[in-house]
Amino acid sequence: MKKISDITIIDDDAITVFGLRKLISSSVEYNSIKSYANGKIAIDALTDFFNNGIQIPQIIFLDINMPIMDGWEFLEAFIELPIAEKIRINIVTSSIDPRDKKQWEHYKSKSHHMITFNQKPIDRTKITEITEMA
Amino acid sequence: MIKVPQVSNTSYLIRQLPTPTAFVDTNYNIVQTSDKWTSIFNENDECNNSKSLFAVFPNLSKKWKMVLENCFNGNPQPMGIHKTLDTNNNELWFEWINAPWYDTNENIIGAIIQLNNITDAVNNELELNKKDLLLQQQAEITKIGRWEYNMEDNQLFWCSTTKSIHEVSPDFVPSIETALFYYKEGHSRNAVSMALFEAQENGKSWSNLKLQIITAKGKEKWVMAGGKAIYNKGKMVGLIGTFQDINEQVQADIKTIDNEKLLRTLIDNLPVNVYIKDTESRKILINRAECEYLGVNDPREILGKTDFELYPYEAAEKSREEDLKVMNTLRPVIGKETVKTTIDGKQTSFLSSKIPLLNSKGIAYGLVGISLDISNLKEKEKELRNIINIASVQNKKLLNFAHIVSHNLRSHSANFSMLLSFLDTERDEEEKKNIISMLTTASNNLLETLDNLNEVVSINTNTNIEIKEINLNDKVEDICKNLSSFILNNKATIENNIPVDFHIKSVPSYLDSILSNFLTNAVKYRHSERKSLVKLSAEKKDNYSILTISDNGLGIDLDKYGKKLFGMYNTFHDHKDARGIGLYLTKNQIDAMNGKVEVTSKIGKGTEFKIFFNEKN
Repeated sequence: MKKISDITIIDDDAITVFGLRKLISSSVEYNSIKSYANGKIAIDALTDFFNNGIQIPQIIFLDINMPIMDGWEFLEAFIELPIAEKIRINIVTSSIDPRDKKQWEHYKSKSHHMITFNQKPIDRTKITEITEMA
Repeated sequence: MIKVPQVSNTSYLIRQLPTPTAFVDTNYNIVQTSDKWTSIFNENDECNNSKSLFAVFPNLSKKWKMVLENCFNGNPQPMGIHKTLDTNNNELWFEWINAPWYDTNENIIGAIIQLNNITDAVNNELELNKKDLLLQQQAEITKIGRWEYNMEDNQLFWCSTTKSIHEVSPDFVPSIETALFYYKEGHSRNAVSMALFEAQENGKSWSNLKLQIITAKGKEKWVMAGGKAIYNKGKMVGLIGTFQDINEQVQADIKTIDNEKLLRTLIDNLPVNVYIKDTESRKILINRAECEYLGVNDPREILGKTDFELYPYEAAEKSREEDLKVMNTLRPVIGKETVKTTIDGKQTSFLSSKIPLLNSKGIAYGLVGISLDISNLKEKEKELRNIINIASVQNKKLLNFAHIVSHNLRSHSANFSMLLSFLDTERDEEEKKNIISMLTTASNNLLETLDNLNEVVSINTNTNIEIKEINLNDKVEDICKNLSSFILNNKATIENNIPVDFHIKSVPSYLDSILSNFLTNAVKYRHSERKSLVKLSAEKKDNYSILTISDNGLGIDLDKYGKKLFGMYNTFHDHKDARGIGLYLTKNQIDAMNGKVEVTSKIGKGTEFKIFFNEKN
């Protein structure tokens, strides 16, 4: 199992954050996990990392429905950052709205990052699969 | 022995005879002439007695010799008319009369020739012949025939044209009875009989009687008949008149009238407004539909008027411009959608066309306008569009709601299943407790979500909402009282500027929810650097009562969040109490009462919501 340095979880639901942390920690080796309650806080932090030359987390778990800045708005801002590395972004949602699938396809084609679309609930096998480095 | 007439005694008497008279002997020699004869035929009054008659009149027909010879035998015969020249070379016409010349012993010794000057009569006759010819020619050209009726001998004369109109042979001899018989039974025969009677009894003339005849060949024809009595020395002696074939004109007229009638019937019964305008845009023809539209019974009330007398000035000016364009370019306007407002304010939607009317030279002498009233259609279209709008909005809402429901319920159930799977494998008792407490939270969240959804569903499905008239000022005061501790804790000021007697139409419980939601939001999202001030005011405008709630709070970036502002579970402030359900519910309640919400905001300055309550409820 390849060791992953940093993982970020962006979700406003505490239970989901708890679950993801628990699943990840029991499935993969990693350096650190950070979580943010909405897109705005996350993008502010990541932009700050980028500007200060701090390593951008290689894996990002992203919720869609969040207050202030939702997942799509976060993606929009994130792919604007000129990050050379290929980051893996796992969208995790309970939405079955086809518009969300369309949005995902739109961003997937727009970015060099690896963007996956995952529906809740996420189990251990799934977590192992999507926490591989991009 | 030849008896020599004894003339000497009587010669003086003969010379004085008032008519040109000559005595010739049996040898045709002129023995004695009257002075009258001499003055006509003899130059210089020279007497040419004893000259032969045939020497004096070399052109005299030789047959006269025979006539004179008969006369010598006691059988005088008329000699007829002879043209001669007098000493001045004037053309003279004479009727020659002869009688045997007896001597005292009753022996015929010659002949007396007397001349009647009939030059005038002959000239008159010539003139008459000419006139006759002229008349005949005129009749042939104009197809106006003549007739004459002689009362004395009850004879009727028809000229050749009259005969040809009756389609009888040229040698047909008409009588007054047969003539009448040619007129068609009924009106025509009655009318002409009456006219004849009136003329004979009262001397009344008649003219321009349009009547029908049936010709000898059985053809029906229209004729124009006229007639008048003629008098001789004050006594009526007959009737004369004219007779004209006007069948073609009448047929043409009938056809024209028929066509006009057809056209009139057509345009009057068309369910469209039709009018014709002249080059000055004056209406010169309008149909019944147009009359009804303009509110008149008689088209004459409109004819001659322009749009300036029928429509407001601006509309009339526009219409006149369009008329001129159509007539100048000769390009019609077809099926243009227009809204016309009459002077009394009636508004009608039309599909109108204007087509130029061209004369034989290709120049427009007016235009014909055709307008189809599509007001009903427009109204229906509007209704339909409304229904479609409502349906599509509802549909969108429904879909949105379905996604929200599925998303929310799924997210909770996903949490449950995840937590339960953790619980299943967890060995650490502390962590187990932690997971169980999380399950409790998840369960509470689910219940709350279900409550919210239930509330939304009840707003959208409750068709039996009871709308009441509510005093808005009083209601605001009530809500402020309920929120008083919240307002006090946040040190906010509510400024109620709503007129004391301002009433709105609303569902009471919805109004409670709307007011407390907006007021709470206004205070909750206050600016940290200043005291919260919320102002309320109200006004009436276009079927709406408008409640304005403005605050001096944080403001919202409408460019970014405008679309999501009233969405479910959308929050825009990093506020611990923000749930993203309040505005969604309020919006649903306002929609359910056929109202609307408008919002303006400046980041860092404040937000203003305008809530429109429909007055038509």
